[in-house]
Amino acid sequence: MDSLGGMGSFPSDPKTQIMRQVQQEAAMQNARMLVEKLNEHCFERCVPKPGTSLSKGEEGCVTSCMEKYMGAWNTVSKQYVARIQRESAQGGAVQNL
Amino acid sequence: MDTLGGGLGNADLTKLSDRDKQELQQFVMNESQKARIQSSIHSLTDTCFRKCIPAGNVKNGKLDKYEEPCMRQCVDRFLDANMVVLKELERLR
Repeated sequence: MDSLGGMGSFPSDPKTQIMRQVQQEAAMQNARMLVEKLNEHCFERCVPKPGTSLSKGEEGCVTSCMEKYMGAWNTVSKQYVARIQRESAQGGAVQNL
Repeated sequence: MDTLGGGLGNADLTKLSDRDKQELQQFVMNESQKARIQSSIHSLTDTCFRKCIPAGNVKNGKLDKYEEPCMRQCVDRFLDANMVVLKELERLR
C-alpha cells in the first residue's frame, strides 16, 4: 500500500483517497460559488438591457467586473481571516458566524 | 474520473485502522471549518461589493483607493454589528 499520501496518481490507501476527495469536493464547491456570484453581480451591472448580442462594451465590463470582484473577494478573505485570528488569540470562544 | 463528484464509493472503509479513523475525523472537522469560513467570505464579499462598488458599468478591474478600504471596513463593521446583535439577544434571553 502506498500510504503516506504519495503523489501517485491514484492512491490505494483509503485514507489518502478520502482526504483527497474531500478536498476536491471543497475546492469545487468554492469555485461553483464564486462563478455563481460573478455571474450574478457582473450580469446585473454590465448588461442592464439585454440586446440581440453581447456588445464589446458589455464584454469589457464583464471582464473588469470579474477582476474587481475577485480582488474584492481576496480583500475580504484577508480581512476576515485576520479578524478571526485576532479574536481567537484573545479569549477562546469565538463564533464564526 | 470516478473520484470526482460522487460519494466515497470506491474507498474501502473497512480497511481503516482506528488511528486512521481518528485522523480522518479530525481532517474532516478541519475541512468543514474551512468550508464554513469560505462560505462566510462569499457572503461578505457579496454584501460588501453591493455597498462599496457603485452600481452600473465597471470600467476598471482594479479596486480603487476608495473601494479597497471600503471593503475592509465593511467586513469589520459587519462583524461588529453581528456582535451587537448577539449581545443584545443574549441580554434579552
